[in-house]
Amino acid sequence: MNLQPKENRLVSPYFAFYLIHTMQVGVGVLGFQRYIAKSAGHDAWMAVITGGILIHLLVWMSYRMLKNSDGDLVAVHEDIAGKAIGGLFSTLFTIYSGFLALTVLRTYIEVIQVWMFPHINTWGISLILLCVVYYFVSGGFRIVTALAFFSLLLGTPLIFLKYFAVKDSHIYNILPLFDHSVTDFFVATKTMTLNYLGFEMLLLYYPFIKHPEKSEKWSQWGVFFSILLYTITAVESFAYYSQGQLKHTIWATLTLWKIVEFPFVERFEYIGISIWLFVVLPNICIAVWCVTRGFKRIYSLKQKHTLIPVLILIFAGTVLFKDRQQIDLLNSMVSRAGYYFIYFYIPLLFVLHWMVMKVRRRKKDA
Amino acid sequence: MFGKRRQKKQERSQNQSSGQAKTQLTFEQLMEKCKASKDFVSFTKSDKHPFTISYYKSMVNPDLVHKDLIPYLTSFSSLSLTELSQEIPVENIEHTSDVQTIMDSLLTGSVLVQSRPEKSNCLLIPAATAEKRQISVPETEFSVVGPKEAFVESLEVNINMVRKRLPIPELHVKEVTVGKLSKTRVVFLYIEGIVNMENVNTLKQRISDIEYDHILDSTYILQMISDNQYSPFPQLINTERPDRVAAVLSEGKVAVLVDGSPSALTGPTTLIEFFSAFEDYFLSWHIASVFRLIRLFGVFFSVLSTPLYVAVLTFHYEMIPTDLLGTLIASRSGIPFPPIVEAVILELSIELLREAGARLPSKVGQTIGIVGGIVIGTAAVQAGLTSNVLLIIVALAALASFTTPVYQMSNTIRLIRFPFLVFAQFWGLLGVAICSSFVLGHMLRLTSLGRPYLAPLFPLRVTDLKDALFRLPFNRQNLRPMQMRPADPARFNYKRGIEKNDIEE
Repeated sequence: MNLQPKENRLVSPYFAFYLIHTMQVGVGVLGFQRYIAKSAGHDAWMAVITGGILIHLLVWMSYRMLKNSDGDLVAVHEDIAGKAIGGLFSTLFTIYSGFLALTVLRTYIEVIQVWMFPHINTWGISLILLCVVYYFVSGGFRIVTALAFFSLLLGTPLIFLKYFAVKDSHIYNILPLFDHSVTDFFVATKTMTLNYLGFEMLLLYYPFIKHPEKSEKWSQWGVFFSILLYTITAVESFAYYSQGQLKHTIWATLTLWKIVEFPFVERFEYIGISIWLFVVLPNICIAVWCVTRGFKRIYSLKQKHTLIPVLILIFAGTVLFKDRQQIDLLNSMVSRAGYYFIYFYIPLLFVLHWMVMKVRRRKKDA
Repeated sequence: MFGKRRQKKQERSQNQSSGQAKTQLTFEQLMEKCKASKDFVSFTKSDKHPFTISYYKSMVNPDLVHKDLIPYLTSFSSLSLTELSQEIPVENIEHTSDVQTIMDSLLTGSVLVQSRPEKSNCLLIPAATAEKRQISVPETEFSVVGPKEAFVESLEVNINMVRKRLPIPELHVKEVTVGKLSKTRVVFLYIEGIVNMENVNTLKQRISDIEYDHILDSTYILQMISDNQYSPFPQLINTERPDRVAAVLSEGKVAVLVDGSPSALTGPTTLIEFFSAFEDYFLSWHIASVFRLIRLFGVFFSVLSTPLYVAVLTFHYEMIPTDLLGTLIASRSGIPFPPIVEAVILELSIELLREAGARLPSKVGQTIGIVGGIVIGTAAVQAGLTSNVLLIIVALAALASFTTPVYQMSNTIRLIRFPFLVFAQFWGLLGVAICSSFVLGHMLRLTSLGRPYLAPLFPLRVTDLKDALFRLPFNRQNLRPMQMRPADPARFNYKRGIEKNDIEE
């Protein structure tokens, strides 16, 4: 059974650009520099690029797989492992999407708590943000896509704030090139994965793109744009901070915003964090949407019935993870799961699906 | 549960309507009913005459009855009704015995003529008076240059004003009657061959589905046929300019005129269209574009300025640069209230002034404006109740909200700043962002006659941007907006339009 969405629910192929890109740029970009610099030091910005190239490859694999199955991940799983076992794997993926939403939301709330309102209760802000999420997701995939579009429109101009840091940075900080071993690069690339996570939601919303085969080039551009953004941010941060300083800066990008100064406003990070809501929201919305869509595909549950329970679970999750250590644990857990998922599971699935399709075709011919 | 309730409702309303049909009046009962009103006249000239004349005195043109009707009736007293209808110099005379038709025509200003020999038949001679106001200058959508005609309360005059601007047979005028008591004539206009019939059908469907007893203005219709009736945002444009209606009709939109209403509705529309004044097309495109951008800036300023003031002064005072801080401290040092109270007091007093100014006759209204603006403002600052910085911000925000050319929209903008204020008080700048995301989500979900409200921004339609945030010159406006999915998208031949000669030709 293939639940093909209605024509008026589809989005144009070029929106794949926004969907892929906004999903990759979330809270990670606010403080990824320290983590990748841990192993590869000032050369880590190259790990950003190599990590990105791998993502290009994975997107390509996903598209091959989806084109052949004419559907989404659930259909692929069914092709390979049948309905029952396939459904189990699809459920795992759905739960993973839910955790992705939770991670993004909780980390954003942490940013608010650290930078804006030190005494604010987690549950209050979580509740109101989840209300916003409910409002968008209940509008359907088109509305979520629209949010992704506006997110890019509002979020991208923030990159120009880097200009203020450029004045005080020393490009010699990132020299000499290739100062670290291949293993260091590999570790940094692996750490970078968490930031690139999110593109795999494509596996679920693929049928919602009109003429999905045409959207591949847009998806690849989306990935490219993310790489560009991350690379600029990384190079800029490595040039601005010394490596010693970076070790102690958890939110390097946010700290860069602090030096922004206009004649009418200082301490730009308050504005930046507020605008960042629009960058974070589509992340959460797309992930939550994928959870409800996944349950609909696997268990034929109505999306409007699953949405509220899912949001309640996420709400409970945000309250549960209390301090920095726990949030860090959540982040590293999800990033490890994502790491295995995209680097091992997608290629495996790709090969298996390819073999299954070949066998089937042979059977048909015979 | 709701389905059942709705079903019951439908059944009930069906019963009602069939109940009405059952109580079909006889002719005598109708006459009796009409005679109960004092303005109903029924008489026979003299006993020799076979004809009885009846009409509502208040609805017919007395000149026509006295000069063109009664003389003929007296001189052709021997004729039958059919022959008589050929003699009387009035067109569209109806010869009928149907009581329903008789009742409707009598009430819309026809004269009923009976003849003694033919009991059951009668003639209905249209003689309605059209009391109407002079066509005047548009008041809510005034323009410095360009036509100075505005719609009036008469449907015929309004249609005439549109049709004389578009003298083509393709301009179709379709009529529907709505309102159980008011029996309002609602007319919708479109240009066949340009309009997408889907829009026409949606509109027609919604208007004929209206269930209400009285429809007294087009704004009633505007609210009743909106896609989302719970939204504060108007989803159709309400305009009093016939030239604007003619222009949007040629874009492939549909217009609705309501008898007795001096404004037309046009749709489908987009959010951006609410910020385009029709005067934009009379000015050169550079000026028009800049004005449009200023208006859009005005909207953002009007909605966000006070909430930002409250957010920054309540939570994020670190953001204020040192040089500016002195000014702010000086203006706020004696104020006993937190910023939110101060802001709410000022916002409310501005709203009071506006409301008082709108309710009072214009001469008094002006005085109120001056008294309120200058005297109360100065006094409030000197008394130390509000800071003068905030006074400036609030006054500018009020001013900015009036730059919106469509009245309904400017009211909406004034309304939605209050939730923003509340959010700013609770969560500072983040609250403003949260509230913005709610508004964004709401506008994304809105549709106008089923077409997306935020177009051409989302879904992004690059070709429609030529007349959205800014207006490009006329030779670039070769395509009608894609938003309406017009049947004929090309306005003119673009190639011929931009044909240019070489330097020396």
